[in-house]
Amino acid sequence: MSAFSSILHKENTGLRTRLLIHGAGIILMAAVFWVFISAVEVSRIESRESDNEIQKYLDLSKMDFGDPADRLLFRESLDVFYAGQTQRNDSVVTAIDNLRQRQFSDPAYKTGDTLDGLTWNMVRRLTGMYLQFIAVYGIVLLLIYLLAQRIAVYRFIMMKQHRESYLTQALELVRNARANRVGSMWGSAVRKLGLLLAKALVKGIVLMLLFTPAYVIAYSVKTTIDTSSILFMILLGIVSNGVLIHTANKFFTFLVSESRKGYVQTAIVKNLHASYEWDAPEGIPMRTLLQIKHGFRSHVFQSIFINARFQFIPALKEHASFLVTGLIIIEMALNIQGHFCYELLQQILYRQYDIAAAIIFGIFLTIKATEIAIDIWEHKEKRKYGY
Amino acid sequence: MAIRTFTGNSWLDKLTSKKDLLWLTIWIAGLGVLWIWDALFLNAPAFARLQTAFLNSLLTGLMVVLFSLALGWFLGVSLNTLEHSKSKIGFAVLSFVTDILRSIPQIIAVLIGYVVLTILLHNGIIRSSFVQMVWIAGTIAIAVFLEVADTIRQRIDYFRTLDFVDAMLCCGIKERRIINVEILWKNSRSHMLHKLIAIFGISIFLQCSIDFIISVGLSTDVSLINFPMTLGNLLANVDSKQDILALSNLFTEPGYVSVIFTRHLQGLSVAFCIVFSMLCIYMIANGIVRRHKLA
Repeated sequence: MSAFSSILHKENTGLRTRLLIHGAGIILMAAVFWVFISAVEVSRIESRESDNEIQKYLDLSKMDFGDPADRLLFRESLDVFYAGQTQRNDSVVTAIDNLRQRQFSDPAYKTGDTLDGLTWNMVRRLTGMYLQFIAVYGIVLLLIYLLAQRIAVYRFIMMKQHRESYLTQALELVRNARANRVGSMWGSAVRKLGLLLAKALVKGIVLMLLFTPAYVIAYSVKTTIDTSSILFMILLGIVSNGVLIHTANKFFTFLVSESRKGYVQTAIVKNLHASYEWDAPEGIPMRTLLQIKHGFRSHVFQSIFINARFQFIPALKEHASFLVTGLIIIEMALNIQGHFCYELLQQILYRQYDIAAAIIFGIFLTIKATEIAIDIWEHKEKRKYGY
Repeated sequence: MAIRTFTGNSWLDKLTSKKDLLWLTIWIAGLGVLWIWDALFLNAPAFARLQTAFLNSLLTGLMVVLFSLALGWFLGVSLNTLEHSKSKIGFAVLSFVTDILRSIPQIIAVLIGYVVLTILLHNGIIRSSFVQMVWIAGTIAIAVFLEVADTIRQRIDYFRTLDFVDAMLCCGIKERRIINVEILWKNSRSHMLHKLIAIFGISIFLQCSIDFIISVGLSTDVSLINFPMTLGNLLANVDSKQDILALSNLFTEPGYVSVIFTRHLQGLSVAFCIVFSMLCIYMIANGIVRRHKLA
């Protein structure tokens, strides 16, 4: 047990053991969900039998339970047939009322589908939706991984170039304008100020877009774009809910942290290129943002990037979970019929908790599969760099 | 001369050098401008609803932060204690459970919490709006508190690699005090503050999203019960949705921008509150990282 526990949260955790822990987690959760689904099924059978019993009374001809006189007559008849069992008779009348009320108000009675719980037909239907969900998730995760690195690298290089934000530059310009208030300089300063403020506005709008919840973006373009298409879902998954910006920020944090380490100074002393100017002789060509993995050869940034990327791989796990959250929100909030998470919401609405549990288990498996894949990837990277 | 006075102010210099304070000011100022605009152009009932929704969301967010701090602190310190105890069984079990919790997407945890809340409301067990908000905050905290626990463990692990802990132990200071006071309180406050601000942002996002989802997807059930007014369910309101849909008009009729900020104010105000708050909270958290060199 001590060996088991000691590897749980150590950096040098063995892959095999990590996989065992993941496997144990999946088995445990499968057992929990199986017990829950079975319990729901048992309760459904009991409830159906009880409803059938009550339905017999409702099916009595010439009996209108909405009419107080009929109800009174029925109650008195019960007292005659089951004399002295007042409590039992009261319960029957209450059960009839409950069933009638449910038949009017329960959404489960309003659907055309038969609500039989987790049948094979339902499993087949869910499987198709699940595969589609996994495909969308995989594409979005991959694109976010690629984009986040590029955004972070761009931000890091801009930081190294000591570029202030547009607003700070505008303030600085206003400050400097004191000395240049007359002549043509004043005019050019105003133009520059206008340009900086416009850039700040565009940057602000882009940033706000990246933080906008998916449902706000989708509703704002609903009448002009088909918001139920897979392509739109992928696009929303990338740009909305703050997923991309948070992932990029994490990578940026690793870059900053790496750049402060001692080996960077040593590398500079050993004459590696260290200029962060775009396209300068010893700087960084801008096109490297496209071929990011191998684009910084003979530059000190290459090591910073590789080390940051190495730390970024395990951090992807928490972002994967947040990404799934974002996709669930998109499917649920947009009410896209025939999608996995929309189905989850529908099943909760119809109180088909066994199907809802199966869908949640599917989502749990997706995250676990991502964690397993990331652990294997991290292990391979470790071996590659001789850890 | 006015420019000189304006830019020469030392408070402005301080503000631009401390990004977290700058963005806190921008957040408050932005919301202040929105409040004045809404007071002028938004109808009174909608304005009142918007204020209540914003304050409720803010209050719930703060409760999430407090609950997460308490749960995260407890779990982080417990894991650390169990890890260094003789028997590792407790550590193994607790780590295993947190490992599973990590694999459940936050929104699912929150959704389960809401389903349970709906059942409790149906059965009349919970009635007060405040208790509902506490429940919601508790549910969201369960979904996000692991981040606090991770930060606490990282800080303790970091200090354990230094002579700091051993030296204090040699001086006769109890381990509990070293961890809770010396490491976490005296030397990790900025890390914790950064994490709690980030959690506040996530909690606002999750709260708004789940309220929106519930109001849209489970509307039949929710209409029977009155959840406390929040930014999420105010956004799911038909009027607000119409306002957001009206933004589409800008693609075909750019001139519509002149009326959109007066005619469709409720939905736009709610959406702005959510997005602007999330942006500012992110910037404040980043500002703290930069100022305290946490990265």
